[in-house]
Amino acid sequence: MNNSMTTAKRRNRALALCAAPLYVFTLLFVLGPLIYMVILSFLTRAEVWGVVNEFTFKNYADLLQPVYLKTFGESLKLALLTTAIDMVLGYAFGYFMARRPPEKRRLLLLLVMVPFWTSSLMRLYGWVIIFRANGTLDTVLMGLHITKEPLKLLYTYPAVVVGMIYALLPFMILSVYTSVEKMDWSLVEAARDLGASPAKAFLTVTLKLTLPGLLTGVILTFIPSIGLFFVADILGGNKVVLVGNVIQEQLMKVHNWPFAAAMAVVLMAMTSLMIFLYRKITHVSELEGMV
Amino acid sequence: MKKKTIALVLAALMILAVLSGCSKGGSSNKTLNLYTWEGMFPQEVLDGFEKDTGIKINYVTFDYDETMLAKLEAAEGGDYDLIIADDYIIEMAISENLVQKLDKSKISRIGNVNPLYQGQFYDPSDEYTVPYGAGVQTIVYNPDAVSIDITGYSDLWDPSLADSVGIIANYRVIDGMAMKVLGYSYNINDLDKIAAAGEKLNELAPNIRVIKDDFLQDDLLSGEISAAVMYTSQVTQAVMENPDLKVVYPKEGIGFGIMAGFIPSKAPNADAAYKFLDYILEPETAAACFEWLGYYCTTAAADKYISEEYQSFLTLPDSIDKGNMEMIENISAEADEQHSLVWTTFQSLCG
Repeated sequence: MNNSMTTAKRRNRALALCAAPLYVFTLLFVLGPLIYMVILSFLTRAEVWGVVNEFTFKNYADLLQPVYLKTFGESLKLALLTTAIDMVLGYAFGYFMARRPPEKRRLLLLLVMVPFWTSSLMRLYGWVIIFRANGTLDTVLMGLHITKEPLKLLYTYPAVVVGMIYALLPFMILSVYTSVEKMDWSLVEAARDLGASPAKAFLTVTLKLTLPGLLTGVILTFIPSIGLFFVADILGGNKVVLVGNVIQEQLMKVHNWPFAAAMAVVLMAMTSLMIFLYRKITHVSELEGMV
Repeated sequence: MKKKTIALVLAALMILAVLSGCSKGGSSNKTLNLYTWEGMFPQEVLDGFEKDTGIKINYVTFDYDETMLAKLEAAEGGDYDLIIADDYIIEMAISENLVQKLDKSKISRIGNVNPLYQGQFYDPSDEYTVPYGAGVQTIVYNPDAVSIDITGYSDLWDPSLADSVGIIANYRVIDGMAMKVLGYSYNINDLDKIAAAGEKLNELAPNIRVIKDDFLQDDLLSGEISAAVMYTSQVTQAVMENPDLKVVYPKEGIGFGIMAGFIPSKAPNADAAYKFLDYILEPETAAACFEWLGYYCTTAAADKYISEEYQSFLTLPDSIDKGNMEMIENISAEADEQHSLVWTTFQSLCG
């Protein structure tokens, strides 16, 4: 008994040692910049370049201008829309994939992963080629006599939504896939034996058991989607203004770093709050334990 | 015997390694540490300079002026011998004492510079910089797709151009179009006037199809848009591809920006920088550079060497002089914030 405890202690110490570099890394490169950003958001912009160490709330006050508040709304709207559509598409595909025989499953998994091997920017430019005037989609639609003239799809809101869905779908597919694959199918059979219709068995058994995967997928899709600004840039022609776009612009062009920092802080707080509420409502943290 | 040869070769290699280590540190006066954007010079010019002077060029690149200034700050004005960047950032670098005054006696061809591009805000008495290329704000359009005759910015507001204009994502340039239409200078600090320009700009929103910095020329060429306000290098590429496109010098006045070379305050090898500046001021070399770069020629003596096909968009017509040209200068922080507010409002109205 005594002996085993010291072994456990020793193992803990070894584990702590192994994890130490990670802690140091996190402190230095995650917490450090974060603190820097929060401090920066309370400083004053210098007249020419950089910042001066004068404490101010001005950056947060400036945020309250309707046009900037609107960008938070736009970001949230787009993120929710993307996540909702990804939920439906990703669940269907992840479920379908997990139900294939193993070798087909591997092939499908590969097909989901392969696009990740190229730059996401390159893939977005692929969509530009599809959507642009007289591009692939127009050629096909006009060839089939469905439309008569170019649709002008590029640089529209739907183009942005498609790009967002496409960019984040794999996260949803993979989360759903892992939980469907792990599921104990005898439970569904039992439900069916006991007289449940296929729909009822799906809703009461399959969906409940795979919910953790779906809910994890929601987090994995929602968080990146709220900050993904280059899709709106490339496919939306910069006409959908998201928080990310404003932050980048303030940082790189206007040189108003404190304001950009304030926006980033608020965006982060907003996202954290959303995640917190989401976990409260769905009890996803308890569900995660079940996986 | 053989062993001795190997030993000698190894020794020689080691000495070489040590020496090359030196030049990397920039202490050798046989290296020019050139810091600028990618693709600023044709390879022949770089090779020619190395061959003529025996100075090796260590070409280091940045993407944004801002990155350059941050690095130069970190290096406290050292590390680089020659930097070529945009006007406004040079003004900031000079104000931070990161730039050294030029010894003009070391640049024998300084007289070749076009005076139009001298004495500007970022270096009023030309003490620190030598211009290398200018961006001139023009309007480009496809006459086949546009039913009106575009002569100035105000024509972009024409309802016939609905959803067919492309603009760069440069808030000072685009806000500036409205300023010019209202007859203001680009550089006023009057917040109410900037707001008024914003109101005017908002009326342009229905005509805007796309706002972006990269590859805007492709949209004009593919027919996605029929008129554009874009960067000079993009105009050059578009016109090279489709010579039927029309380039207009807006009647309200012409905005322009200058790229210029400067020597940082603690440049390890300023002499190499002087030699290079002098080299690229040689008229024929300069002409080759600007044809490659696609920006307006700032070396007047090179104008006549620029080939016929490039003349119309790399050199300014005679009718244009300092009187109808204005640079976009750094303005007060409040005015700048007002501009960015105006811009974001306009941008979100375009969607």
